[in-house]
Amino acid sequence: MTLLDYRNDMQRCSRCSLCKWPPLSQIKSWRFSNVCPSMVWGNFHAYSAGGRMIAALALLDGRIDYTDKLVEIVYRCQMGGACDVSCKVNRDLDPLEVMLELRAKCVEDGQVLPAHMVMIESLRSDDNALGEPKAERGKWAEGLEVKDITREKAEVLYFAGCRYSFDRDLQRIARETVKLLRMAGVDVGISGKEEACCGGRAFEIGYRGEFTKYAEHNIETWNAAGVRTVVTSCADGYGTLRSDYPRIGKTMNFEVMHITEYLDRLIEEGRLKLTKSVPLRVTYHDPCHLGRLSEPYIPWEGVEKKVLGQVVVKDPPKEFRRGTNGIYEPPRHVLSSIPGLQLVEMERIKEYAWCCGAGGGVKEAYPDFALWTATERIEEAMATGAEALVTACPWCERNFKDALEQSKAKIKLYDVVELLLEAL
Amino acid sequence: MGLRRDSYRVLEGIVGPQNISEDPVILDTYAFQWLAETISGTKFAARPEAVLLPGSTEEVQAVIKTCNRYGIRYKAFSTGWGPWNTVGGEGVVQLDLRRMNRILDVDAKNMYAVVEPYVIGAQLQVEAMKRGLNCHIIGAGSNTSILASATSMAGYGLSGIFMGYSGCNVLAVEWVLPTGEILRLGSLGSGAGWFCGDGPGPSLRGVMRGFIGALGGLGVFTKCAVKLYPWYGPATIPMEGIRPLDGMPIPESFRVHSLTFPSWEALADAVYRIGEAEIGYVVGRALPPGMIPVLNVSSSAEYAQMLQMVTRAGVMDEFKYCIQTILGASSARELEYQERALEEIMSETGGTIIASMEEASVREVLFRALIKVEGIARVFQLAGTFATSLGAGTSWDAAVASGKLGEQLKRKYIEQGAIADDGGDLAWGGAYQHCRFGHLEEIIMYDFQDAESLKGADDYVAESAQAAVEKSLGQPISIVPGMAEHFGPTSFNYHIWMRKIKKAFDPGMTADPSFYIEAEQPPGK
Repeated sequence: MTLLDYRNDMQRCSRCSLCKWPPLSQIKSWRFSNVCPSMVWGNFHAYSAGGRMIAALALLDGRIDYTDKLVEIVYRCQMGGACDVSCKVNRDLDPLEVMLELRAKCVEDGQVLPAHMVMIESLRSDDNALGEPKAERGKWAEGLEVKDITREKAEVLYFAGCRYSFDRDLQRIARETVKLLRMAGVDVGISGKEEACCGGRAFEIGYRGEFTKYAEHNIETWNAAGVRTVVTSCADGYGTLRSDYPRIGKTMNFEVMHITEYLDRLIEEGRLKLTKSVPLRVTYHDPCHLGRLSEPYIPWEGVEKKVLGQVVVKDPPKEFRRGTNGIYEPPRHVLSSIPGLQLVEMERIKEYAWCCGAGGGVKEAYPDFALWTATERIEEAMATGAEALVTACPWCERNFKDALEQSKAKIKLYDVVELLLEAL
Repeated sequence: MGLRRDSYRVLEGIVGPQNISEDPVILDTYAFQWLAETISGTKFAARPEAVLLPGSTEEVQAVIKTCNRYGIRYKAFSTGWGPWNTVGGEGVVQLDLRRMNRILDVDAKNMYAVVEPYVIGAQLQVEAMKRGLNCHIIGAGSNTSILASATSMAGYGLSGIFMGYSGCNVLAVEWVLPTGEILRLGSLGSGAGWFCGDGPGPSLRGVMRGFIGALGGLGVFTKCAVKLYPWYGPATIPMEGIRPLDGMPIPESFRVHSLTFPSWEALADAVYRIGEAEIGYVVGRALPPGMIPVLNVSSSAEYAQMLQMVTRAGVMDEFKYCIQTILGASSARELEYQERALEEIMSETGGTIIASMEEASVREVLFRALIKVEGIARVFQLAGTFATSLGAGTSWDAAVASGKLGEQLKRKYIEQGAIADDGGDLAWGGAYQHCRFGHLEEIIMYDFQDAESLKGADDYVAESAQAAVEKSLGQPISIVPGMAEHFGPTSFNYHIWMRKIKKAFDPGMTADPSFYIEAEQPPGK
């Protein structure tokens, strides 16, 4: 698909502004009634999904040309997709796809951000977007003596992803996850230094070539290694593997599971026994890529036809991703299984959760905006009275950590795995 | 054309560099509008010269004074949905009031709230419900500005049977006049707070908005108080899910029904009786027959299949003269009274409850749609866009006549294939203030990208407007430039009075008059 393929979607935007709010029935207070960080930050209509659709249409039609402002509007967005969910409550439009295609067009036209070029250069040289040397990729697992799937077979491939592989503050979570899996008797292996980026961030910032390269590489590698199950703790990676890899049309001979899904299954099967009380009141942050953005891409090719005079229908019918089939319950089941732990919900959850702020290349290009977005979420978490904010994504955790450091807010931060370990 | 650099710098100094832009991408996103094609032939109407985001009354005032000094026209909007929010041509700056978004007070004891322009219905409603109150929300949806519908724009909501009309619910108002002076209407004008629109202090509600509103043509409204009404449900309504087909639990204090009658006349009589009995929390045609299928479908293809299927099966006949009702009461005894009154009215007018709509899940969906007022955007889904027609605020009998007329006039355009075949009856509306007045507007759905369809829609709207004049059904709700000049001569020459108001309040002619009225009569009119 290209931007042009979505021209009708752009034209049919009604400028209702529903993309700026959670689904209206789910608004619970004035304070937490916005859903689009970009719009709250930028305030001009152009910063909304609807605004970006109009901008894309104006660009396609030659009404406008690239300016610094246009490029900033295109990229000052985490691509978290809450706008897309809100739009689709009532409409059959694909604003997030339009925004993704607009970024791809910007890259094609050479309209890129220096910060993103640095990420891509790092990807090209070291297979990660964090500027870290490839040789150090597997160091997080040193001493674990876990199977290396490039040399031996394992029932489950644990895919650490770039953030867990290189972020010194977070590496221990990957290590503890592997330990946890082994405690449950899971035959787990890793790719070590041979692991490569999932390509998700490249996809989000419009670099389709890099995305395709990593998607093909990972699928081919894992298929060749006979991997049956890929488990990852990285919600970003999970969303990419599950939602975006199907875009390239290569057969994947493996299932993809997020660690919270897998742990939920292990708890259900009695392979993990949670015995210790963890007396803590927590609230859970739904990572965008684990929730609404984890629904697999559904390819559609067809035409629009008219019935009943002027009613426009897609032939064959097009199935839309509306965010309702994301991974929402498994992390909550895991948390609820922990003795003594009390889970309280924030106002914006699941399909319409507020983004952590890190995604879409924003953390790299607009770090102040990323931290502001995280601070908004932290304030929402604190409004629940929770003692701790729990998430299931290293990108969320990194950004929350940075925001907490800056704001000095008094709330603890955990990954689901950390709390689970405390209960064993 | 562009703004002169000196004027731009002054404006920039008022709102700050991050809150003003003349970048083409910003300007185009303000030119694009629903129904813009009816003005310009494309989705883009005129571009503003710049867009400003003032953050306070003081900033609005300073901007307007600057506009007066430099001869710049301005057009303000709040949530900004519809072509009347676009600027009328060159030389106009757009004020997007989005940053003025606070609920300043919810006075539970005196049952009113004070809001800034960008507070939407959904926000005020949830805050009001926490205090046992509710606010009137217009049919355009709870994504629209409370202040805009109270001060500046027409629009009806089906809770109007109980909660009236936004133009009546507005209390005290803070108004930055086109000259830049601040006028405080009602009790605010005498420093007595926000509780009253008519005094002690100046009562200029009629001048401020008339019936329809000045649509940005008479300055900027920066704060207003609106009346709140009792809410008989819990402070918060726990609701899972986001899909339109997910229902909302119905509290004990409410009853939800879909009713049908043997004729338009019987329906009209029943609604009059409901008004006389002073019962009902929501009464009206939220789902006219052509929209009933949307209760069960999630795509336009499913809608088409469902409509064809139920039409063939004769099911739609049952919905021919339908309304939806919510009864709500503060006690079981009162609710019982209302139910008995409704039963008696039904019995006397030949009405019946539509059995297929009594299923709990259907009633819960209906309850959500009617209380939260969130589904209107679905009407865009089917053909790409919609327009509306007729729908004057008038006697309920005349409203019903409008509904009948709209269906008749649409038939030709449906047969031509120019507009969507929705069965003909998409008459949306209800009766307000216990049926002191009412409105039914006839909706058409069309494909604006199809020249034939666009022409058909335009022709239908024009034909129905002319028919409304000829049949004395009142001024249509469809808003187009020059409307006052067109309809004024048939409606007590109200345009002459509007022009006098415009001249008196806007001697510098800085408030964009495009959807209100020019100070001077256009040549040849």
